[in-house]
Order: sequence, then structure tokens, then C-alpha cells
Amino acid sequence: MSIGGIEAISGFTPLAAPVVQAPAPAAAPATQGVKGADFGSMVLDGIERLEGIQDHADTLAVRAATGTLPNIHDYTLAATEAETATKLTVAVRNKAIEAFSEIMRMQVG
Amino acid sequence: MGAFDMLRIANSSLGMHQTWLDALAHNIANANTVRATSEDAFQQQMVVATARPDGGVDVSGIELGDAEGILEYAPDHPLADADGYVRAPAMDMSVQMTSLVQAQRGFQASVQVTKTAQDTYNAALQIGQG
Repeated sequence: MSIGGIEAISGFTPLAAPVVQAPAPAAAPATQGVKGADFGSMVLDGIERLEGIQDHADTLAVRAATGTLPNIHDYTLAATEAETATKLTVAVRNKAIEAFSEIMRMQVG
Repeated sequence: MGAFDMLRIANSSLGMHQTWLDALAHNIANANTVRATSEDAFQQQMVVATARPDGGVDVSGIELGDAEGILEYAPDHPLADADGYVRAPAMDMSVQMTSLVQAQRGFQASVQVTKTAQDTYNAALQIGQG
């Protein structure tokens, strides 16, 4: 039994069903010493980006204090972004340290 | 800056509503500004908003209202012409006030979006903790 009719209403286009794309095949197995992005440089990149966001928020804070800030929300949003980015970076750091300690606790031999 | 798109979009909306509020404040401030009939009347500002293709909204321009204005009979007015007329802005105060409420509500809604964005990001940071 087919259920039709909805399409018959003029002007109504049924939504296309979402299509989940198959993941691209991995280029190479990562086990054979193939280096992806180096974790150290990844962390450094993250910290650099965080610094940029914080600098932006700081600049706006100074402008707010000196009365040259055009919009209040420019500062509050930059501060929110800086706060969230800081939290994210700290979370990544904590996870990394957690993993490191876990490996250090490993019994060998 | 993909991770903070929600904040970025809300920021653009706050900016647009801020501009709109400024324009309305300007219009209301000049509701009683009259000019001589030899000049254009005060023209109300109307903010034109355009959606950004990558999310968000932009102020693409500010249109000006009717320059003709409304001729008011005020023979005692220093700017009155020989027939006793001055040019008042062709602007409806009730429209300005309802737009003001609309713009304010839009601004507040965008603030709510930023709060939700912050809550959402904080929730994402809780993943894997505890």
C-alpha cells in the first residue's frame, strides 16, 4: 500500500532524506610510524590561536575603558569567545596530561 | 573560525539590530524637526538588512524616507515661508515606536542566542569529564 497525497498539495516539496556519506577510506594505516599532525605543534597552534583571540578581547577591553568601543556586544562576545577557547585549551591540556600519566603508570616487565 | 560560528552569527545580528536601534533613535529624535519649505524635509532612516551567505546578517545600506515631508501651517514659525508653511518630516511616530520595540526584541533574542551558544559550548567541554 502506498501512501501518497502530500506531494499533491501544490507548492509542497518533500524534504530529501538525509544522506550519510560514506567516510573516505583512510589514506594509510596510522600504525606504521606515520606521523599525522605532531601533537606538540598541534598544541602550540592551539595556544597561538588562543593568544590571538585573547589579544582581540584585550584590545576591545581597552577600547571599552577608553570610550572608543563602537558596540558593547563586540567586547562581551570577544570575551565570551576567549573564555570558551581558554576552557577548550585547558581541557585539551588536561586530557593530554591524563594520557601521559596513564602511560607513566603502566607496568613494564 | 568555525568553532564559534553561533557567536559570530549572533554578533552580526546584534550589530544589525544596534544599527537599526540607532537609526530609530535618530528618527524619533528628529520627529519634530521642521525645515523651511525651500529645503528637503527631515528624511527618516530605514536600515536595509541582507543575509550573509555564510550565516549572519549585514547592514547593506540605509535608505532615506520621503524628502517631500508634510507641509504644516505655522505662520509664527521663524522658518515659515510667505504663505506661512514649514516642512515637517513625513514620519509616523507609532510606526517608529513599534519598530523600536521590534528592534529591541530582536537584539534581546540575539543576546539569548549568545547565552545558548555559551551553554552549548560549555556542555561540549563537559564531555569526558567525571
